[in-house]
Amino acid sequence: MSDQDAARGGSAGPRGAYAIERSRIDDWVSTVLALGEVIAPMAGHGGDVLYAPVETPDQVLWEFDNSLHPPKEVLLPQTDPLFEIRGERSGWQVAAVRPREPRILLNARSCDASGIRFLRGVHEEDLRDSAYLRRDADLTVVSLSCPQPCSQGFCICCDAGPFLDDGFDVQLTDLGEVLLAEVGSAKGEALVRTSDGLFRPASEQELSRRRMLEAVAIDSFGESTCHFGSAMRRISTGRVVEALWDTMSDWCFECGACTLVCPTCYCFSIKDRQSGGGWQRCRMWDSCQYGAFTLEASGHNPRPHRKDRVKRRFYHKVSAQYYLRDGTVGCVGCGRCVTVCLGTTDMPAVVTAIRKGVWNG
Amino acid sequence: MSPELARARTQRGATRVTLTSANPYQPAPARIMRISEEVADTRLFDLRFEAPDLAERFQYNPGQFIQLSILGVGEAPFSLPSSPTRRGAFQLCIRRAGTFTNYLFDHVREGDLVGVRGPLGNGFPVDQFAGHDLLLVAGGLGMVPLRGLLQYLIDLRHRFGRVMLVYGSRTPDQVLFRSELTSMSRRGDAEITLTVDATAGQPWDGKVGVVTQLVDNLHVDVPKTFAVACGPPVFYQFLLERLVAAGFGKDRIFLSLERRMECGVGKCGHCAVGYTFTCLHGPVFSYWDAINLPELIYT
Repeated sequence: MSDQDAARGGSAGPRGAYAIERSRIDDWVSTVLALGEVIAPMAGHGGDVLYAPVETPDQVLWEFDNSLHPPKEVLLPQTDPLFEIRGERSGWQVAAVRPREPRILLNARSCDASGIRFLRGVHEEDLRDSAYLRRDADLTVVSLSCPQPCSQGFCICCDAGPFLDDGFDVQLTDLGEVLLAEVGSAKGEALVRTSDGLFRPASEQELSRRRMLEAVAIDSFGESTCHFGSAMRRISTGRVVEALWDTMSDWCFECGACTLVCPTCYCFSIKDRQSGGGWQRCRMWDSCQYGAFTLEASGHNPRPHRKDRVKRRFYHKVSAQYYLRDGTVGCVGCGRCVTVCLGTTDMPAVVTAIRKGVWNG
Repeated sequence: MSPELARARTQRGATRVTLTSANPYQPAPARIMRISEEVADTRLFDLRFEAPDLAERFQYNPGQFIQLSILGVGEAPFSLPSSPTRRGAFQLCIRRAGTFTNYLFDHVREGDLVGVRGPLGNGFPVDQFAGHDLLLVAGGLGMVPLRGLLQYLIDLRHRFGRVMLVYGSRTPDQVLFRSELTSMSRRGDAEITLTVDATAGQPWDGKVGVVTQLVDNLHVDVPKTFAVACGPPVFYQFLLERLVAAGFGKDRIFLSLERRMECGVGKCGHCAVGYTFTCLHGPVFSYWDAINLPELIYT
């Protein structure tokens, strides 16, 4: 482990490291395609990058700017049928909606793999959400490390990249002629093992090159990132002046886009929808930034003002109380909120404003 | 995760409840045995789980709630106004207030099958109450969860000291469980004071005035007493400080709070207050907890 790794609290590291020749990568993807549905970044209509099921290895992108929508939809679809209800009101039965099947998420960026790990923690916490966790258990996450930080990203401030120590099943790193595959779990080990002859144990030089790439990537973030410490102290103790929240929330358009594209946001509503001859009970994405999110049947709304909702979002993501609960800030530094916010109420802007006490919206 | 974090997680003391199903979102079929009109637009439903073993096994604390499903319409959370001491069936007291309850009132009849999942939430700390006097203060529909507690206290009468209820309604025709409360009072099981904001020309032999004023007139042995309150937000604003002024410790005042809830298991985020979920760590909070969660009572 390099000094830099140690300084970042690097763990004992993955279970094993393998290497695969770049020329054989399509062969590997073909093997993986035979194991189950493969969701990978691909070029959508108009050239946008999106995560979708691929059918052939050549659809998979290996060099790309991260997608606008995180691959969290793989585990948490916008409309997610929880179960199906068949029969009449006088006598009905509940049936499972989808069979269990192995799926592979290929080339998730480090931030998105961290987002999936975060969501796992949330759904394991307190009462286990078996509906989510079963799907999570059936998914193998192959992450792709980021030697080049993306323009809006600040994953380095969230321990969510550019390279990961854990939280993946396999982490791929592009070393040029060779791809390094670090295995982080038994599921990952199985994925590498099923491809006989394609992978060989990685050499010391390859591991050393990976460490060098990580150091360079970390270094290239510069200083202008997202410093959570001060914001966390002030938000956790309620020491952010109200006037600052007022000003910041003036820049929020309540569109909810920040929460919809956030890899760690998971709030939802439960609705029934008609399906065939029966009904499906679905969980559907919702956003804490919408006024009706907390509206009660009595008409009472505990968060009637936009400011209350903006406050809530950052309390949930940045407070020490939630840090203790989740073991991390509720942010993976992907920078998507920076991209989509119509105003400027994004994570780095708000964290900076709280730290400096001044809003430069 | 570090050991400290792991410890912090387990120490948070979230509720451990046995749900009706392994999938926390899946309701169990329950039959509506009886529907009675409690007051205008508020009905009392008697329910029983369809599966006989579940009907017998279903255990809950007073103050817990369930999610009621009407298939194809959705689900909504409701307090349990019945007591777990009365096994086999349970009750719901529901006021017509929105899409779900409109459907419930207009289309669901006795004998229909609905879905129920729960019990959810923590409920009142009844073990802590044992051997103490209880002062229950209800405002409006806040009587619903307190009626479950009251029945529980009466059913296990020997375990508790004085049981006092102060219950305020808008008008005489809005008083819930009126005949039951009257007979409880007549039997001497509980000291019950009913009050209305206005008589609105209806016959009324109780008090007139807001509930918070009546608390002052009770001769309560404060150090021996736990106060339990449930009512609309405005009710808490006046009541809580009055109880504190009367000498109640903030950790001896318990509140049952309302929030919009969807999942009931601490996932969907709707009922989050600070770092707690009303559906999981509540709906019963001590006043001490509540003042440390700024959004909880006042907005």
